[in-house]
Amino acid sequence: MKTEVAILIPKRKEIKRHTKKVLKGNSAAAEAAKICRATFVTAYPITPQTTIVEEIASMIARKEFDATSVNMESEHSVFAALKGAALTGKRVFTATSGQGLLYAHEVLHAIAHLRLPIVACNVGRPSYPWNIWCDQSDSIAQRDTGWIQFYCENSQEVLDTIIQSYKISEHLLLPTLVVLDAFYVSHTNENVFIPEQKLVDEYLPSRKKSDSDIDIDNPKSFGGLVAPDMYDKFNRLFWEDMNKVEDETIKAGEEFEKYFGRKYAAVEAANIHSGTKIILITLSSITTTARGVIQSHPEVGLLKIRLLKPFPKKSILKILKKVNGACILVTVDRNFLGDNEGALMQEMKRALYGRTGKIFGVYAGLGGRDVPPSTIEKIISIDFNSAETKEIIWIDK
Amino acid sequence: MKTENNFLIEEENVYCGALSCRGCGWSLLARHISSVMGTKTVYVVPACCFSIIAGPYPMNMLKGTVVHSLFAAGAATATGIRHALERQGKNESRVVVLAGDGGTFDIGLQSLSGAAARGENFIFICNNNGAYMNTGVQSSTATPMGAVTTTNPDGKNTNAKDLMAIIAAHNIPYFATASLAFLDDLKNKIEKAKTITGFRFIMIDSPCPPGHKYAPELSIEISRLAVETTFFPLYEAENGKYKINYFPKKKIVVDELLKQQGRFSHLFSNGSSKLINSLQKHVDVEWKKLLTKVQN
Repeated sequence: MKTEVAILIPKRKEIKRHTKKVLKGNSAAAEAAKICRATFVTAYPITPQTTIVEEIASMIARKEFDATSVNMESEHSVFAALKGAALTGKRVFTATSGQGLLYAHEVLHAIAHLRLPIVACNVGRPSYPWNIWCDQSDSIAQRDTGWIQFYCENSQEVLDTIIQSYKISEHLLLPTLVVLDAFYVSHTNENVFIPEQKLVDEYLPSRKKSDSDIDIDNPKSFGGLVAPDMYDKFNRLFWEDMNKVEDETIKAGEEFEKYFGRKYAAVEAANIHSGTKIILITLSSITTTARGVIQSHPEVGLLKIRLLKPFPKKSILKILKKVNGACILVTVDRNFLGDNEGALMQEMKRALYGRTGKIFGVYAGLGGRDVPPSTIEKIISIDFNSAETKEIIWIDK
Repeated sequence: MKTENNFLIEEENVYCGALSCRGCGWSLLARHISSVMGTKTVYVVPACCFSIIAGPYPMNMLKGTVVHSLFAAGAATATGIRHALERQGKNESRVVVLAGDGGTFDIGLQSLSGAAARGENFIFICNNNGAYMNTGVQSSTATPMGAVTTTNPDGKNTNAKDLMAIIAAHNIPYFATASLAFLDDLKNKIEKAKTITGFRFIMIDSPCPPGHKYAPELSIEISRLAVETTFFPLYEAENGKYKINYFPKKKIVVDELLKQQGRFSHLFSNGSSKLINSLQKHVDVEWKKLLTKVQN
């Protein structure tokens, strides 16, 4: 089987500059905040994110991590305080989940449009019906706030993506949300290669000072009322930079490989070639299960979306050039958005506009429902060429 | 720069052309606060009338840094800025929240309480004009009983929230009330707050001609009456020790204050003296409570 990207074990040369640890996704996130030298962290507990801010608080208390951590009284305040600190030019970090992210929604808009390069983690869980397990509906609901969104498959990717996110965010002045699956990633122990501090410092120097930072010796006003002509202009400039994210993600991933020996891109393709009959399009940890299943199905390919927002249309279309028109695309959505299609299906349809070929949307794993190999098998055994097969399928009906 | 002909403003730290209504308490307050605070100050402004008065992008009425913040998040935004400035070693800088009563009593209460309980090192100033004036006079929980607003067209039927008691319950090092009719007292309090470390809170009774419905030239007179009637007493508490800063020389009934303001005119025209009596009773009870706090 041909895997085109994602090599998560460092190459021989770079491996010397890493320490091997067995870490949960949440611990990898806390570790990443430390090695990225975030200096201001805000905390508010919510399951299943809580251990991220707990571990950060503990590292600060042990003086292993030089940052100020403040326990806020809500997620709205968590993000508002980050906004305040980031306005002074600080590199900041927080983590949240589900209701917490939804509660902070208003502040997410403000952060994005103040062009603050904040990186935050979201451990994806739903809100209502009340549920604490894995789901993407919380972060998908923030798609229109102007944050870049990455979805991570495992602990190593969580750590590496946070490092790359600061690089991309600080270059484009756009915030990034790094999403990991509740429990399947957040609370699952995996092998993680932790890069040495010096290596991270080489790849990710301190945040550059800017004339747009708060400077008490050079007073200015931030966030005042903006008239329609300027509002339009600010949004156009934002749009121009948002359209650079896909290329910057690829660039940051390639540069990351030079330093760390692990390569990343906006998407990852596995087993996609002219003979591929079905392509499963996935986010996060469902990808791992699908990887295993397709080993015994040479006709099934896998397209993992790592960068969800902005949607990496260019990378996707490039990969799909390899398949013939009869190849069937199947999105696997772990998010119900109150509409017919889930997020991947919506985004794929948008990206494929004007292109012929069949696409189906499967709902699987909502609210933490297990997606074992047998579910993936069930998906690929569907007769997609039958007129009876509906466009949207609830696989565990 | 010292202004020669104005003994009250030692350092003029506002530019001309503030976008306030005539007789507005906010612009007068901003002049005094900025004069005492100096230019190395970051003002955090959650949505309120001052968001407009301070000037739209890219203008800035104050000689100092202004951060316009979300309505609910004045104290939280100030928290982030304060900690970040301290990490930069900018300890001479000051952080001051300038909030309205909505951003203090209502939507801003959670973040205010969080910051006060954490003992954050900044000053929170509430310009209390007793309603959502920026959006066109809707009731807030700071609106006094009887006042007509666009959302209580028959007059509000509950008393204003006792926010100062909530503030006191946070055991902060300094809190005070102040009035624009008592400028020496106001200035003393801002200066005192400036020298103290920790969370400091000052509530200003703010005149608002369009919201309270009176002629702009009466702003200071009405503010003075609010203190003289003990409708808005002047006091402060340093480390929990209360001090009343002004004792009215003779008792004036609240009628004198209410009848100057159109928002209370229905109390006089339709003979609802019951409500005026009940307001008077409330004022008397609160004044007695305050006297007890001072004795303790």
